[in-house]
Amino acid sequence: MECTTVDVQHTAARDNTPSRRGFLALAAAVGAATALGGPAAFTASAAPARPIASPMLSAADAAKNQLWWGAPGSAKSMIEQGLPIGNGRLAALASNDPADELLMITDATLWTGGLNDKLQSDGQFPYGRDDFGSLTMLAELTVALPDHDLGNVNNYRRSLDLAQGLINTSYDISGVTYRRQIFASRPDDAIVLYFSQQGGGSYTGTVSLAGTHGESTTANSAGRYASFGASLANGLKYGAAVTAYSGTGRVRADGTSITFSGCEDLTVVVSGGTNYVPDAATKFRDPSLAPERLARTKVLNAAGHSASTLLHTHVADFRAVFGQLDINLGTSSAAQRELDTLERLRARHRDDIPDPELEAAYLQFGRYLMISGSRGSLPMGLQGPWLDGNDPDWMADYHTDINIQMNYWMADRAGLSDCFDAFTDYCLVQLPDWTEVTQRLFNDSSNRYRNSSGKIAGWTVAISTNPYGGGGWWWHPAGNAWICQSLFEHYEYTQDRAYLKKIYPLLKGAVQFWEARLVTTTVTDESGTEREVLIADSDWSPEQGPLDAKGITYAQELVWNLFGNYRTATETLGKDAVYRRTVDGLRARLYLPVVSPKTGWLEEWMSPDNLGETTHRHLSPLIGLFPGDRIRPDDSTPKDILDGATALLTARGMNSFGWANAWRSLCWARLKNAENAYQLVVNNLKPSVNGSNGSAMNLFDIYEVETGRGIFQIEANFGTPAAIVEMLVYSRPGHIELLPALPAAWAASGSVSGVGVRGGFVADISWKNGKVTRATLKSVGGRETTVVAGGASRKVSLKPGESVTLRGLG
Amino acid sequence: MRSSSYSVLPARTLRTVVVFALTAGLAATVPAAQAKTPVPRETPATTPAAAKPYMGWSSWSMQSSKYPGLNPDGDYSYLTEANVLKQTDALAAKLKNYGYNHVNIDAGWWMDKTWKTGFDQYGRQTPDPVRFPHGMKSVADHIHSKGLKAGIYLPVGLEKEAYGEGRTPIWNAPGCTTADVVYSDLRTTNGWDNAYKLNFDNPCAQKYIDSQAQQFADWGYDFLKLDGVGPGSFKSGDNYDNVPDVAAWQQAISTTGRPIHLELSWSLDIGHAADWKKYSNGWRIDTDVECYCNTLVTWENSVNDRWDDAPAWSRKAGPGGWNDLDGIDVGNGEMDGLTKAERQSYMTLWAINKSPLFTGDDLTRLDSYGVSLLTNKEVIAVDQNDSPVARPVTPVGDQQVWGTKNADGSHTVALFNLADSPASVTAQWASLGFTGNASVRDLWNKADLGTYKNKITEALPAHGSRLFTIKPGGGTPTTTGYEAESAANTLSGNASVAGCDACSGGKKVGGLYTGGKLRFNDVTVKKDGIYTVQIAYVSGDPRSVTVSSDSGNGTSEKFPSTGDWSTAETVSVQLALKAGSNTITLDSGSGYAPDVDKIVVPQSV
Repeated sequence: MECTTVDVQHTAARDNTPSRRGFLALAAAVGAATALGGPAAFTASAAPARPIASPMLSAADAAKNQLWWGAPGSAKSMIEQGLPIGNGRLAALASNDPADELLMITDATLWTGGLNDKLQSDGQFPYGRDDFGSLTMLAELTVALPDHDLGNVNNYRRSLDLAQGLINTSYDISGVTYRRQIFASRPDDAIVLYFSQQGGGSYTGTVSLAGTHGESTTANSAGRYASFGASLANGLKYGAAVTAYSGTGRVRADGTSITFSGCEDLTVVVSGGTNYVPDAATKFRDPSLAPERLARTKVLNAAGHSASTLLHTHVADFRAVFGQLDINLGTSSAAQRELDTLERLRARHRDDIPDPELEAAYLQFGRYLMISGSRGSLPMGLQGPWLDGNDPDWMADYHTDINIQMNYWMADRAGLSDCFDAFTDYCLVQLPDWTEVTQRLFNDSSNRYRNSSGKIAGWTVAISTNPYGGGGWWWHPAGNAWICQSLFEHYEYTQDRAYLKKIYPLLKGAVQFWEARLVTTTVTDESGTEREVLIADSDWSPEQGPLDAKGITYAQELVWNLFGNYRTATETLGKDAVYRRTVDGLRARLYLPVVSPKTGWLEEWMSPDNLGETTHRHLSPLIGLFPGDRIRPDDSTPKDILDGATALLTARGMNSFGWANAWRSLCWARLKNAENAYQLVVNNLKPSVNGSNGSAMNLFDIYEVETGRGIFQIEANFGTPAAIVEMLVYSRPGHIELLPALPAAWAASGSVSGVGVRGGFVADISWKNGKVTRATLKSVGGRETTVVAGGASRKVSLKPGESVTLRGLG
Repeated sequence: MRSSSYSVLPARTLRTVVVFALTAGLAATVPAAQAKTPVPRETPATTPAAAKPYMGWSSWSMQSSKYPGLNPDGDYSYLTEANVLKQTDALAAKLKNYGYNHVNIDAGWWMDKTWKTGFDQYGRQTPDPVRFPHGMKSVADHIHSKGLKAGIYLPVGLEKEAYGEGRTPIWNAPGCTTADVVYSDLRTTNGWDNAYKLNFDNPCAQKYIDSQAQQFADWGYDFLKLDGVGPGSFKSGDNYDNVPDVAAWQQAISTTGRPIHLELSWSLDIGHAADWKKYSNGWRIDTDVECYCNTLVTWENSVNDRWDDAPAWSRKAGPGGWNDLDGIDVGNGEMDGLTKAERQSYMTLWAINKSPLFTGDDLTRLDSYGVSLLTNKEVIAVDQNDSPVARPVTPVGDQQVWGTKNADGSHTVALFNLADSPASVTAQWASLGFTGNASVRDLWNKADLGTYKNKITEALPAHGSRLFTIKPGGGTPTTTGYEAESAANTLSGNASVAGCDACSGGKKVGGLYTGGKLRFNDVTVKKDGIYTVQIAYVSGDPRSVTVSSDSGNGTSEKFPSTGDWSTAETVSVQLALKAGSNTITLDSGSGYAPDVDKIVVPQSV
C-alpha cells in the first residue's frame, strides 16, 4: 500500500489527563474538583461549589442530544416507560404524568442478603432474595396535582436531555404552560423536581414519600420535611427524606405528606441512602451512620438554595462528563426528526431507512445511563440502579459470565473512563471475601468444578455476585479471568500505572488460581505429533452444553489472555519477575482451540462435535475475537482459525436479542463486516411490543423471556454503543484502525470525538464518503502507535498530553 | 351458576368459550344468509320514530349489578315502582333538558323477587304486584307527567310459563289458544331458550303479539325493548330466527295506532341488518355492556368490545334505526367501575357512532364529572346531528382515529388510546382527505385549540380519548390513485383480481391469505418523506395485513370490518417513500387479509 502524505501537527500538552479534559475545564470553573472519584458510600459531603456562570446549553445545542416523547409513562409500566435519572448512586424512574408525577427511587446499595458462604448439596450457592440477596427499591415519591388530568392537557411533551442530565416536561392547560424539570444531582446528592409555569397558573397538591418495605413516613411540620428510616433483615440501615418549598402559596408538612396550594412554582428535593460501606472488614456496614437523619440534612441543605442554583450545580457537573464524547453519524430527515422517540423507533423498523441521529442518540443514551448509574458507588448490574419493584429478575445482580463485563466495555471506548472506577472499586472491595470463600469452598466435594489436583490458590467467583462478598448459582472458575480481562483493558486505555498497581492483586490472585487449576493432557495435532498441553479442569461453557467439559475454549482463551496481561503488568510494575517466568511457561503450554473438521467452526468444548445450541446467545468460544483480540482478521491469525471463528459467528445467527446482538455486532465489527455489525445494532432498535425483544419506549433494552413478558437487561444499552464505537475505531496497544467497519448508512459524513484508544490515547475523527478526512490523536499516557485508515498507515510518537492531527489518511 | 329455578335469569355473563364455539359451529353449518327468509309484512316503517338516536335511562344496569345496596332483596330486585319513579324524577330534573327523555323499564317487571313470572288469563305478562303495586299504567302516567316517554321490555317468543298446557286463550282472538301460536313440537327460541318459538303460519301468533302490543298501548308505553332476539343473542339456526317475530311486532304496534319505538336486543346478527332496519328502530350490536359484578360495568367487561365491533355496523344506521351500543354508564365513577378517561372514551365512542344514549346510572347519585359527560351539549350534538356514523380512518390498533364529515364541511374526529398506558395519538389531516391548516375545537374541554398544520397530536391517558371538530382551511392534497387490479402490480400466492361493484374500477384484488401478496410497483412521489397512504379495501370482518414500502419490514395493521363483502372503506397508514419510484406491499403473511380496492398516495409532502 502507498503511504499517502500525512500532515502531522503536534500540539503541546495542556494537562496530564486529557481524557478528563472537558470535565476538568468545567470543574475548574465551578471549583468542584472534589467530585472526581467521589465517596463510595452515603456520607455527609462538603457544601458543593456553585457555578458562577450559567452552565446551561442553548436550546439548539441541547436539542442535539435529546430524546422526547408525546405521552407520559404509565405507573404500571415504569421499567419500560419511566425516564431514568441518577447521580451515580441514587437513581429513579419518572413517569412524568401531569397529575401524578411518580418517581421510583433506588439506591444502588440497598441490597438484601449477605456473604452467602455455604454451598448447597449440588455445589451451587443458594440464590434467593434472603440468602444471596437482591437489589431493592428505596422509595416511591409522588407529586399529585389533581387539576392536571392528562385528559385536559394539550401539547404534552417530555424529553430526556442527555447532555445536561435532565427530564423536561411541559404541557398546557387553559392557556397556562406548565413545566417541570427533574434531575439527580451528584454535587447536592439529591433528586430535585422543579415545577414552574407561565400564564398565571399555580400548583395545588400533595407530595408523598413512601418506602417499599413497609416503612411509615412521618412528616415534620416544624422541620418542613417528611422522612422514613428502617433496617433490612440483614441489618442494613436505610432512610429517605423529602422537602418542598415555594416562593408563593402555602407549603405544609403534616401527617405523612407535604401539601401545597396556590404555589406559582414549587421545588421538591428528595434524598436517601443506606449505611453500606465498601469495606469487607466492617462487613460492609457503618454502624454509626443514620441514613434517615443524613437524608434530612441533605434535603434541607439543598433547600437552602433556589431551584435554579441546584440546577446549575447539577448541569455543570453532568455536562462536563457527558461532553467528553461527541458523535455525528450523519443527518436524519426532517420527517424522522418530526417523530417522537417511540414513533421514530417504529418508523426505523417499519421503513428500514437509516436514522443516523437516532442511532447516535442510542449511543449517547447509553453514555447517559452510565454517567447516571456508575459514579462513586457500586457498579451497575443487570438493570443498573433502575427498578420498578423489589423482585427484579436475577436479583438485578452482577452476572460475571458476560453481563457486568459488557456493561463496562463502553466506558473507556466512549469517553467515560472515570465511570469504570465503580467496577474496579467493587472488585477490589470484594477481593478479600472472594479469596477467603474460594480457598474455603471451591474445592468442596460438592463443587463439580473443584480442582481435581486438590490444590487451591487465589480467588474466583460464582456466576452471580452480590455486594457482600457473596456468590450465587454455580461456581464460575473462569469468571476471575474475564473480570481481569476487563480490568486490564482499562489499564490499556488509561496507561495509568497507579491503577495497574491497584488491580495487581486481582490479577495475581487469578493467575495463582489457574496455576493450581490447570491440568495436563496429551493432544495429537494434524501431523500426528503428540504434545502435552495444559487445559482447564471441568467447567461449563456459559451457559450451554455439558456441565463437565475439560479445556473449554472459553477458559483456554481467557487464561491465555490473563497470563499475557500478567506478564505486561509485572514488567510494567517491575514486580514478581520470577513468578512471571513461571507463568510464561504455563502460557506456552496452554492449549488453544482448533477448528472442528465436522462443523468447520472454532471448537467450543475441545471436541469436534456441536454439543450445544447452534444459535445460543453466548459467544463464549469467540471470546478471543471479542473482547479478546487473539483472533484478528490479519496475517497474525492462521486463516483456518479466522475462518472457523467466522463460520461459528455466522452459525450463531443474526436473530438473537439485546446483549447477544450487541456481542455479535462487536465480533462482526472486529471481522470488519460493517453491514452485519450495523444490522445487529439496528435489531436492538426494534421497538419492543408486549415484551418482545427490542427497545422499550424509554430505550431500555427488553429481553422476551416468555411470550408477553419482557425483562429489562441493561447490558445491551451499553454493549450496543460499544459496538457502534468499535465500528468506528479499532485499537490495541501499538495499533489503531480508523473506520474499520463503517456501514453505508453512516458513510456519507460524520465525526466522533473523545473515543478511547487502547495504548493510552483519545481519538477524534471526521469522515466523508467513507474516508477519514481528519484524525486527531491525543496521548493520555501512550507514546507510540500506528494509525491505519483506508490505504494509509502512520506511525505516531507522542508524549503524554500531546496531540497530533493527521490529514490525508486514505 | 344459579339453581335451576333461576334458569331463566337474563344474565348474559355466560359468554363462555363453549357458547361461542357452539354459535360458531351453527353459523358454519347454517350460514346466516341462508337462514329462513321471513314473510315480508306490509306496513313498512314510515313512523317518524327514531329520527335521532333516542336518549334516556334504563333500569337494567342497576338491576344487574352487585354494587352494594342496589339489589337488597336478591338479584335484579332493584326494579320497583318506587325506584323507577325516583329515577324518573331525577331524569326530569337533571338530564331532560339535554334530550334524555326515555325511562325504560327492563326485564323483570312481571316477575317476583324470585324471578317467577306472572301472566294474565290471556298469557300476557302481568306486573308483579310487589314490584309495581299500582300496575304499569300508573308508572307510565307518572313518567308522562314529567314530560318523558315510558319504555317497557319483553323477551321474544311465548314464554314457557305462559303456555298453560296450550289451552290459554289469546286475547281478542276467538278460537286461538296458546297451542295455536307455537309449533306442535314446542321448539324453543330466544337467547335463553325460555320461550316457545311462535309459528306465524298460524294467524293466531300475530294475534298474540297484537294482544301484547295493545296492552302496552293501553298502558301508555312509548318504547319496547324486545330481547333475546336471534339470529343474535348468541344463537343462530332456524329456531332462533326471530325476524318474523320482529316483523309481527312492527305490525302489531302499527295496529295499535300508538307510536311505540321498537328496540332489539342483543348482539344482533349483522347478516340480518336489513331486516332489523326494516322492522325496528334500533338494534343492539353487541353483548351487554354490564359486568354483572360489583360495579355497573368494567372496561374489559365489556365496554371496550365496542371499538372492535362497531365499525362493521357503521353503514347500517340512519334515521329510523340506529346501532345500539347499549347503556352509557358514565355518571358515577365509583359505581360505574371506570376511570375518568374510560368514561370519557365511552361517551365519545357512543356519540360518534350515533348510538342511543341511555344511561343505567343511579341518577340521584351522579358525580360532577358524570354530569359534565352526560350534559356536554357539543358532544350530544355529535350523537344527534345528521352526519354519517363515524368510522376508523386508521387501522384499529391500540391507538385509533375515527372521523366523519359534517354537512358544513367540518370533520368530527375522535382520538382513542385503548392501551393500558398513556400514548400520543396523531390525526393526520390527509387521512381525513384534506391538508394544510385547520382549526380545532376540543369538544370535551369546550375550547378552541387554534390552528394546526397537517395534523394534531395529543397525549392520551390509558383508555383515553379526545373529541374534536376540525375545520379544514381549504387545502386539498394532490394525490395519485393506484388500482389494485392494475396490470403493473405484482400478485403472488393466491392473490387474484375479482369483480367488486363497490370498488373503483369495478375490481379489487382478493385471495390475500396465507402468503398472498399484492405489490404496487411504481408508486411515484416527488420528495423523500413519510406519507399518509390511503388504502381502500373490502373486508366482511376485521383482518390484518402487513403494509410496507420498498425494503421496509412494514407493520401488521388490523383493518376494521367494512360490514360485508360488498362495501369498500378506507383507512390510512404512514409509510416512508423516497423521491421517485417506490413499491408498496400488502402481505397477508400467515393469516387472512382484506381484499384491496386501491391505494391513494399524496404526490408530495
